[in-house]
Amino acid sequence: MGKTMSFQHKELASGRWAQMSLCEQMANIGSEVSRAFNWRKKNKDDLSKEAINRALELLDLTVDSQSRYSRLKECLRVKECLIDYFYGDNVFSSSEILWRKYFDAFVYATRKA
Amino acid sequence: MAMVFRIQEKVKIPCYTGIIIILGKTMKILDSIITIDELKEIANNTFGSLIKAVVDVEKKLIAIDAELHSDLEALLIENNSEQKNLWGINLYPDIEDEDFLEFDSMINIRPSQGNKSRGVDSPEIQKEILDIVNKWVKR
Repeated sequence: MGKTMSFQHKELASGRWAQMSLCEQMANIGSEVSRAFNWRKKNKDDLSKEAINRALELLDLTVDSQSRYSRLKECLRVKECLIDYFYGDNVFSSSEILWRKYFDAFVYATRKA
Repeated sequence: MAMVFRIQEKVKIPCYTGIIIILGKTMKILDSIITIDELKEIANNTFGSLIKAVVDVEKKLIAIDAELHSDLEALLIENNSEQKNLWGINLYPDIEDEDFLEFDSMINIRPSQGNKSRGVDSPEIQKEILDIVNKWVKR
């Protein structure tokens, strides 16, 4: 593996992501997770995997942008549970409903609609 | 086919911390019809399979090609669109059936307008969006 990283979200990875609030970051990550669920329902696993990989990329950017242990712990748990759900055996017994509820809260907090 | 875009070179967006961010140069508000091949080229330069877009159902406009829907939303608002008329979608140029267009964006969550999901809950608005996409995208 090379030392340089290749990001799909090039502009965000170049520093803009770190300027967003944690709520904004999690809301955007939730959008990709939502897409992963949508494609999974349509049995389009390749598109579902692409979406979850974008979510994981953004989660890594979030981890890089956080320094507080409590936030890091939260983000890394989210990552582990997402990988467990989409790539593993779902040993944590998460569900689409739970994930949507979790991420929608960040959207509401961000949009304050 | 020549592609004529009105390119927004720089966009200033106030964020919560008060910092003004200058965004990239790729966002566009379409002012001429775009082909599937052109969409594929744009997709290849970003996410590979999808292009994020925001539709103004009042002005019948589409802004495309950003890493976040909220950037396109800001671009349109700066160009005199109203937020209540803006809906986030994704276009998948490699898909030929109805899955070409996906109604899914965090900017769509607007309880004040009765839209409580990332999708577009109103079938009427979905139809409007589809008509606008069909107007701008040559498939």
